Amino acid sequence: MNKKVILIGHFGVGKTSLVKRFVHSQFSEEYITTIGVKIDKKTLTVDGVIVNLLIWDIAGENSQQKVPKSYRLGAHGALYVFDITRPATYENMHQEIKALQEVMPDLPILVMANKKDLVSTEELNETLSKIQPYNAIATSAKTGELVNEAFEELTQKMTK
Amino acid sequence: MGQGLGFQQLRKLLLEQDWEDRKELAQKLEQLDSELNTREKLEERVNPILQDQEARIQREFPVLFGPQITESIKKQIKESQDEVVEVLYPIIGRMIKKYITSEIQKLSDQIDAQMEMAFSWEGWKIRIKAWISGTPQKDLMLSKLIEPKIEEIHVIEKNSGMLMGSYTKKEGLDRDMVAGMLTAIKSFVEDAFETEAQELESIDYQNYKIIIKSFNSFFIAVVCTGKLNAAFKDKIDDELLSFSEKVLNKAKHPDKEEVQPDVIEQGLAEYFQDFEDLNE
Ligand SMILES: Nc1nc2c(ncn2[C@@H]2O[C@H](COP(=O)(O)OP(=O)(O)O)[C@@H](O)[C@H]2O)c(=O)[nH]1
Ligand SMILES: [Mg+2]
Repeated sequence: MNKKVILIGHFGVGKTSLVKRFVHSQFSEEYITTIGVKIDKKTLTVDGVIVNLLIWDIAGENSQQKVPKSYRLGAHGALYVFDITRPATYENMHQEIKALQEVMPDLPILVMANKKDLVSTEELNETLSKIQPYNAIATSAKTGELVNEAFEELTQKMTK
Repeated sequence: MGQGLGFQQLRKLLLEQDWEDRKELAQKLEQLDSELNTREKLEERVNPILQDQEARIQREFPVLFGPQITESIKKQIKESQDEVVEVLYPIIGRMIKKYITSEIQKLSDQIDAQMEMAFSWEGWKIRIKAWISGTPQKDLMLSKLIEPKIEEIHVIEKNSGMLMGSYTKKEGLDRDMVAGMLTAIKSFVEDAFETEAQELESIDYQNYKIIIKSFNSFFIAVVCTGKLNAAFKDKIDDELLSFSEKVLNKAKHPDKEEVQPDVIEQGLAEYFQDFEDLNE
């Protein structure tokens, strides 16, 4: 079974790094700049089901409002990534997620609190309490912590 | 008794006409009865009237029922737009594509080719070679052209970029990713130029040319090499349209909207395996 997963979140939060951690990229970085998107594939087995994840990563600088419609069209799941060290990357998370849910009501969304390696446990917990009622998985693209687990959890949500 | 006889006579005189009338009436009734109850006889009478009515209904059908019928067709189309579009796409595509684009293209190809051959150095070389070797000029010209070839075909869901099925002669890049990239390129180009109505029709990539044929919910990408002439493209168009009509409709479950990849792959192989052999 094939699933389209999209990554959303502000510039510099670590979307591209997380995908790199999770898969071995086949296409060169050039594609990102030429067409604005990079697609990677990773095969997972979840509950005995083989799932091909086709992970769409958007090119950087744009604010999320400018994301082309086609990026999210037909997506089966989304990863919302923010940077624990930069409040600006999660201050508008509620509205941004709500806006996405308005166009795609049943889309499973998983929130990733990235760059965990840069903060203390207290700082992390403080940030996580700020984003309630959303729950986030705290990841680090640098150390690889919980990266696979996050993708697996989203896959589980999508195959349900 | 005399009185009795007289009375009888009087009665006879007075009522004779009555009797006659009654007998006639009874006869008429009988005849009417038989006309009403014998189908053929009734038909004889009624048919002309019915035929008149029928002619009138036929004549005035649009006026009498037009609005209701239009309304109900409109409603049906509105309620099942996707199906209607899916059905009309190949037909409209075929009509427009065939009669306008390719005819004009063919004509211009012909003119181009003739102009080129007539005035080019290549043309003179071929003429001289043909004259020396005795090989028909036409054959030499044909071998000069690089034969167009289909390398791979992908049927891709338009929105998600998911591969619905594909056909390749040789295994190369990961097909799922190729499908995703093609979708991304296609939709990002369309987004960038904000051309809702117009869709990307081909991508040139090094010595590949990717022909894209859009349908309502999916598109088909044909990766080709060689020099694509209008006749080749025209043939691809035709094959794709009939492939999509026959195979893709079959590939969808009658109840669910899910597509069966193996049906698509078999269909693609069937339609395109000998594609080049059928050329000319
Ligand atoms: N320390 C640390 N740095 C990270 C992490 N993830 C990403 N980065 C760095 O953050 C910067 C932006 O990352 P990138 O993946 O390009 O972000 P994107 O714009 O969301 O795709 C890069 O310099 C990364 O090396 C992380 O988990 N920890
Ligand atoms: Mg990036």
